[in-house]
Amino acid sequence: MDKLLRDKKAITIFIAPAFLLFTFILFIPICQSVYYSFCNYDALTKPQFIGFENYRQLFTIDRTMKIAIKNSTFFLIFSVVTQLIAGLILAALLTNIKKGRNFFKNVYYLPCVLSSAALGLLWMFIFTPKLGINQILAQFGIDGPLWLMDTKGFIILPMWVIASVSLWQYVGQSMMLYMAQISGISSSLYEASYIDGCTKVQAFRYITLPLIRPMVATAMSLNAIGSLKFFDLIFNMTEGGPNHMTEVLATHLYQQGFKYFKYGYASAIGTVLLVLCLIVTFIINKFVKVDNYEM
Amino acid sequence: MEKSAKKKSKAALTLIYIFLSFLAVFYLLPLLWVVYVSLKDDKTLFVSPWALPEHLMFENYNFAWTAGRLGVATVNSALVCGITLVLCLLIGSMAAFAIGRMKWKFSGAMMAYFLTGMMIPVHCILIPIFTRFSKIHLTDSLTGLVLPYLTLSLPITIFIMTGFFQSLPNELFESACIDGCSIYRSFTHIALPLSKTGLFVTGLMTFVANWNELLLAMVFISDDTKKTLPVSLSKFVGPYNTNYSQMFAAIVIAIIPTIIVYCMFSNQIVDGLTAGAVKG
Amino acid sequence: MKRKVLSVLLSTAMMASLLMGCGGGNDTSAPAQSSDDSSQEAAAADDSSASTDSSEEAPAASGDVEEITWMFWDDLNATEDLISIGYKDVVERFNKDYEGKYHVNVVTTNLEEYYAKLNALVAADETPDCFIVSPGPNLDVYVEPGITADLTDYLKADGWIDTFNGGEGAFSQQTYDGKIHAVPLNIAAACVFYNTEMFEAAGITTMPTDWQGMLDACAKLQDAGYTPLTISAGTAWCLSMLAGYLCDSEGVDLAAIDAGEASWLDSNVVNATNKLVEISQYFQPTAAGDTNDVATANFYNEEAAMLIQGSWAIAQINGSNPDFEDKCGVFAFPGTDGRVIAKSDSLAMSAKTAHPDAVIALMKYFTDETAQKYTAEIGGKIPVTTVEYDETKAPAQLAYVMDVFGSAKSTFGFYNESMASTEAGSTFDDTMVSIYLGTPVEEGLSSLEDFFKNNVWNK
Repeated sequence: MDKLLRDKKAITIFIAPAFLLFTFILFIPICQSVYYSFCNYDALTKPQFIGFENYRQLFTIDRTMKIAIKNSTFFLIFSVVTQLIAGLILAALLTNIKKGRNFFKNVYYLPCVLSSAALGLLWMFIFTPKLGINQILAQFGIDGPLWLMDTKGFIILPMWVIASVSLWQYVGQSMMLYMAQISGISSSLYEASYIDGCTKVQAFRYITLPLIRPMVATAMSLNAIGSLKFFDLIFNMTEGGPNHMTEVLATHLYQQGFKYFKYGYASAIGTVLLVLCLIVTFIINKFVKVDNYEM
Repeated sequence: MEKSAKKKSKAALTLIYIFLSFLAVFYLLPLLWVVYVSLKDDKTLFVSPWALPEHLMFENYNFAWTAGRLGVATVNSALVCGITLVLCLLIGSMAAFAIGRMKWKFSGAMMAYFLTGMMIPVHCILIPIFTRFSKIHLTDSLTGLVLPYLTLSLPITIFIMTGFFQSLPNELFESACIDGCSIYRSFTHIALPLSKTGLFVTGLMTFVANWNELLLAMVFISDDTKKTLPVSLSKFVGPYNTNYSQMFAAIVIAIIPTIIVYCMFSNQIVDGLTAGAVKG
Repeated sequence: MKRKVLSVLLSTAMMASLLMGCGGGNDTSAPAQSSDDSSQEAAAADDSSASTDSSEEAPAASGDVEEITWMFWDDLNATEDLISIGYKDVVERFNKDYEGKYHVNVVTTNLEEYYAKLNALVAADETPDCFIVSPGPNLDVYVEPGITADLTDYLKADGWIDTFNGGEGAFSQQTYDGKIHAVPLNIAAACVFYNTEMFEAAGITTMPTDWQGMLDACAKLQDAGYTPLTISAGTAWCLSMLAGYLCDSEGVDLAAIDAGEASWLDSNVVNATNKLVEISQYFQPTAAGDTNDVATANFYNEEAAMLIQGSWAIAQINGSNPDFEDKCGVFAFPGTDGRVIAKSDSLAMSAKTAHPDAVIALMKYFTDETAQKYTAEIGGKIPVTTVEYDETKAPAQLAYVMDVFGSAKSTFGFYNESMASTEAGSTFDDTMVSIYLGTPVEEGLSSLEDFFKNNVWNK
């Protein structure tokens, strides 16, 4: 058995296609992009090496970067926590009902299969004061707030709105991952526990949760990376405005790179983003994941 | 005693259903609104966004279909995403098997290596990838789109599938090993079938991500006959104003294939569920 | 397992072919089959076979036809924009007239991704032969590294330049060190559009000509129960257009600011910004959240009396509410001492193009009589050449805009397109929006000043 699993040739065969594709198509461009982050580069002329100048600007004089880091951190915490809780609750509820499980699961997952760009546009419409929910609120005599333009407070209202929309959109994904993992748990475990007088809640707490812990780590990492790279919804709902107040790292990167042609500077933001993702994934795997590599 | 417990669980079940239904409404309403807007015209959309349309504008669909050339775009998207999906599941799960099940020194490092691909925003690598592909004349072709899609989907596939392979019980492989099963056979005949749900979930996730991908497709493809669906949808956003109702019609058209594919996949996941645990 | 995935794929392809009815049904089956051995080669093979039946075959079939590409920011088939539809006619005319000699292939994106794609093409040394670009810093970035060709000789060779209204003067925004790098196609002027019925009902008989007059008119309209002004702060450049007019009427000198000889904290900028705050009380209540589309709709749906917009809005207004054309008047923004904001779309030629003659021929089609007549009569924009057009065919508002434009003493560009960089322009827009949303004037302007200190003046 052990010999079989240490078969070098088999490992090479299994890993080679992915490794080669990844290295040539993705990893070399990533390295190039990291190199550009040390350059003054507008994609139109040759890059000029300028050392850490982009990073110095990024962390000392760029006000938008501060806002972007604040918003991205908020977004990260909000989505990791809410997606974990809401995803687990939905998965637990859905595995415990029989009638209509398919229907509810399909409905909750539906926004995940639609393009964020289209959904962003849809929600932008809904939160436009002249067209959307404020018109309905007005029927009841309520003066709705400026959902996407309010700038008061530390975490401004538009960020809460966007974060909630993203929870709405992506919670189905976490739910689906948990359900897929729960489906792999042997039913005999549950039957035994019910015979021992366990309630369903107890069974969930003592059987399901520990067994899906690796998936919790996976889903959390996916959420964390996804929320740090978060782009489509924000770009389509506010474009980072008003006055950069809803900017996150990815939108800031886009504006700098493709609106203002500061490709080197944008690459520096991308590198910061990459490092942040690495740190967060490391932390999640350190604290949530049971060590799977020893078998 | 028995009875009251039963009653209690019945009440709990009713509550669960009420909660789930309430949530379902919250999910469906905005989406129905898309369909609803797609049947209005732009003028009434701005005057009375919530009022019922006076007459249903089915010509929005007609216009979206012909002017947006959505037919060709749907075929292109199906081709690109379908091929990417199959290749990605195969290559990705092979690598995941090596990382998650086999024993070698660098499996952890290899995982981390692949993960960096998930962490870099596509905007950063757009121009490097494009210039490289342009040198080998792979831009403006669907192959030139399959390759980056495939590679961008690999990290997440490997990441999730590794988790699934790791959670498979060891005994299965051991007994197969005793029966003289080769490592390749144990991959195709034990690991893959047992991780069916995992394959469906990742397949669904990558398919959907590629189906909706805009930026790469927009930059890589110039030929109108090779454009994919998201690019065709963006045709309705004009420089000064947007044809909202026609764009929403196009969005509805674009959504239908995803929903069909999705239903095929997601019901597989549920099959796994009913075969598995939590009954009664 | 593999078979199941394959069956899923096959049914996807089948469904797709069902969905699209008849066209192209035959090329769905082949690729789906070839993917069953799951090899990249198969994918590559079927793709190359698919690509032969499109563009790549065209040049081979037609021998020595010179193929050029033209890149544009709106899809020519799906668009409702009348100017874009006019461009489509131009391209079709060109391809027909030059059949067998030149052929232009159109590459379109939407405006959002336009520069991303253009820059990627430039970076990969695949610059399109001819492309549209906004004058100002957007054009600067292509002129400075030598990406665009010098067009002066072509323009002067055969009197082409003399067909332009004002001759060389028409190229002021496109001229760099005496060399013309782009050809304008049409001009849009920013004016005040107003609802004549509402003005009548409010008892306003003469159009305001100065700032106080404007405020009085707003007050009268408000007293008569109308929303005086509709504007979009959700789309930053709309609000910035008004701010640009106010700054210019206060005598703000952008060139001096760019050069670091004047400051954003000078009293004239502060006065202009205070005026913006002053007039904002007359905006529609939802101005802060309204997008450009919504703000314009407020006007043509007769929910507000005035709209400050570029003349491209004429087509949108008349297209959405044809009955409104008779009620819509236009006057120049008051108090600017005869200065009008003007914007033009321009065409540039790649310096590396292999077919400059074909590109020049195409550009001439864009500025010929037919195209320029269309620009005025249907597109509702101001032609760049001295073409005679039928005023009765043109939208009613165009005559008023022409009056405004004709009697203007001078023109100036959009504020956000007249600064040192695109980013500086956006920062100006964003600052104005934030001041409108409640940031104190001094605080907003000093953040703008900081941006210039860090990004413009230190270079």
